[in-house]
Amino acid sequence: MHDIVHNLGIGFVEVFKLQSIALGGLTIPDVPFNILMCLVGVLLGTLIGVLPGIGPVATIAMLLPVTFKLSPVGALIMLAGIYYGAQYGGSTTAILVNIPGEASSVVTCIDGYQMARQGRAGPALAVAALGSFFAGCVSTLIVAMFAPPLAEVALKFGPWEYFSLMVLGLVSAVVLAHGSLIKAIAMVILGLLLGLVGTDVNSGVLRFTFGLSELADGIGFVTVAMGMFGVCEIIANLEQKEGREIFTKKVSHLWPSREDWKRMWAPILRGTALGSALGILPGGGALLASFGAYTLEKKVSKYSHEFGKGAIEGVASPESANNAGAQTSFIPLLTLGIPSNAVMALMIGAMMIQGISPGPQVMSEKPALFWGMITSMWVGNLMLIVLNLPLIGMWIKLLTVPYRILYPSILVFMAVGVFSISNQPFDCFLMSLFGLLGYICVRLECEPAPLILGFILGPLMEEHLRRAMLLARGDAMSFLQKPISAGFLVASVVLLAAIALPALRKKREEAFAAEE
Amino acid sequence: MRRILLFCALAFAAQAAPAQGWPAKPLHLVVPYPPGGPVDVSARLVAQHAQQALGQPVLVENKPGAGGNIGADFVAKSAPDGYTLLMGAIATHAINPSLYARIPYDALKDFRHVTLVVQVPNVLVVNNDLPARSVQELVAYAKAHPGKLDFASGSTGSTGHLAGEMFKMMTGTFMVHIPYRGAAPAAADLLAGRVQLMFDNLASALPNVKAGKLRALAVTTRARSSFLPELPTLDESGLKGFDMSTWWGVMAPAKTPAAAVERLSAVLLGAIDAPEVRERLRAMGAEPSAIRTPEQFSAFVASELQTYAVLVKRSGAKVE
Repeated sequence: MHDIVHNLGIGFVEVFKLQSIALGGLTIPDVPFNILMCLVGVLLGTLIGVLPGIGPVATIAMLLPVTFKLSPVGALIMLAGIYYGAQYGGSTTAILVNIPGEASSVVTCIDGYQMARQGRAGPALAVAALGSFFAGCVSTLIVAMFAPPLAEVALKFGPWEYFSLMVLGLVSAVVLAHGSLIKAIAMVILGLLLGLVGTDVNSGVLRFTFGLSELADGIGFVTVAMGMFGVCEIIANLEQKEGREIFTKKVSHLWPSREDWKRMWAPILRGTALGSALGILPGGGALLASFGAYTLEKKVSKYSHEFGKGAIEGVASPESANNAGAQTSFIPLLTLGIPSNAVMALMIGAMMIQGISPGPQVMSEKPALFWGMITSMWVGNLMLIVLNLPLIGMWIKLLTVPYRILYPSILVFMAVGVFSISNQPFDCFLMSLFGLLGYICVRLECEPAPLILGFILGPLMEEHLRRAMLLARGDAMSFLQKPISAGFLVASVVLLAAIALPALRKKREEAFAAEE
Repeated sequence: MRRILLFCALAFAAQAAPAQGWPAKPLHLVVPYPPGGPVDVSARLVAQHAQQALGQPVLVENKPGAGGNIGADFVAKSAPDGYTLLMGAIATHAINPSLYARIPYDALKDFRHVTLVVQVPNVLVVNNDLPARSVQELVAYAKAHPGKLDFASGSTGSTGHLAGEMFKMMTGTFMVHIPYRGAAPAAADLLAGRVQLMFDNLASALPNVKAGKLRALAVTTRARSSFLPELPTLDESGLKGFDMSTWWGVMAPAKTPAAAVERLSAVLLGAIDAPEVRERLRAMGAEPSAIRTPEQFSAFVASELQTYAVLVKRSGAKVE
């Protein structure tokens, strides 16, 4: 305990340190430089999070050269701020216009947008911000206290464990859907197939690329998400003549009601716990966290019948989970030098530019940098909540912008965002195509969320399955011999049974009905 | 002597440039990989330095895809006016031409190879639980336990994979190749002991080696690395002639005017020799290279192409 206080002390001193800055020829003494960089980072992060399609990866890449001239601590604090700031901002577009600003806000769309349609965008945004803040504080503390031992836990996850975890994830994708079961399964499978496009990792064979070299690395997640949610939503909106004006008139209050407060704290706690745990795992951990949190809530909540129709739990839990996951995903980076996602890979680049090789020795050799960064995350979260709560009123006003002005700007931002990922016009065409596919799905009452989950998990699952089989020399029993892996598989079977026994479910519903 | 030459080159360039007016507008440096990796980071470093010398912005543009082939092909087919450049790498210009069944450009004929920017050795690292403490012990262990060892790599056809194949070939051992999606998850499984060895990039392996979490057995280049001067080379350890490194450098479309190529070469050499750039490239494991002129670079690319043609064929790796 003493150590933690001491270490966080080092961090706070670093974050609030006054430095003299050379600007042009001018030297300005006593500037709280690091805290300013933190502010710049979270502001930028919020902004790009709100803009659909433009994500932290492209932004951080563009800012890398700027960081050459900064001090290492200042540079990394700013880049980290962009990352978790984007997690905050990403939920805003998800709730207001049904476009996930970030991969992790895909599930926020489901209930967040429904809340907005009912005139409850204010409470939805507030709960997203409060949940994120709480999760950010808790997970920062977790990083500070347990980073090294948790990194060891992350190493316990091999291909067997990942595969089984993803099986569980896919099974829960079916639970995500609130419509027809068959349609949800069909969407998961369509997602799996789309995920297979590209070069096979093991053999190098190109699959479903139709001779297009642009498809050799597969279809980008942002492209699919922007198409299926963004473009599709715009088509669907334009179809209705009177459309969107209705839902700003109904805005009653900006703040969560007492009832809301009562309903949201438990989901926030559960989301934070799940997010912190899954965020540690490299490769899709934080993303699985938000899907997992939603599924969990839907299973345990008293209000599960409201899910998909604007349940506040459906926003609170995944938003807490994705922010907690965003913070704990720094653990493998800072303790092992292993990036857990594309943004973390960029952070490694930024550290290399500064002449720091990320790895186990960063903590002991550069304690000011390590603890400064961790402390800055807490400070940054505090800034974000101070920044975001007053902004809610402004975001709501955005909904009063006439749709004929709003939708072309959204389209432009999405196109810019999708293009910026690999500078290929092809991706923009692809996005339009997915917009059409999304529209067809809406017409057929098939939901896009299970497709997205299948799309992300499919290729990862295949990769881990085949790697596990290679390492075990073809012994499939190895999945059951590893305790963690076996645990996930058992959980999947139990969950599957719960879904596949509609008779059982019906009986339960009757029982509940009888009680009432 | 070198200074005089450089001066002559600069003087010549200074003379030739105004006549031609190059560069009169911003330059584009295409990186055929996603942002954040070492190729991207070094491109941004060098670009920032070069734009001061050229008096025009040098914009780094990422065009990732198909193992770098999309970006390389884009530059090969760009106007040869000196404004579109490529950060070509061992993958795009030595390995992929043999690895891919169809490749839309010619790594030699379609490019002017201007300046080699970075050359980094790979290191043979093993998990701490493996009893082998030297290359000889590793070979003995592999022979005593055939088919038991796994080696990880960042992808099929990567330098890490091909170094492993070369190792197997030269020592007559058998190990199973486990490909990953990038070197980072491969390193994670190596740390955890699910795979036993890996030919990893020096810069990424170094922190874990220094922290005692992985054991380095040898470097893959002919010369020892100044980062781990006590570490023997594979060549010294009985694998005579083993010499592999990861490299990348600036290239231009084939018909780019000679004057522009020469000026660019001088500017880029100035950039990589500048102490602040050199220091940061060193953080990526790069040491000053003996390859400094466009001619030397071209000859180097040609010899690498040959080396990997043989190696890729023997490894059986291919992308169709």
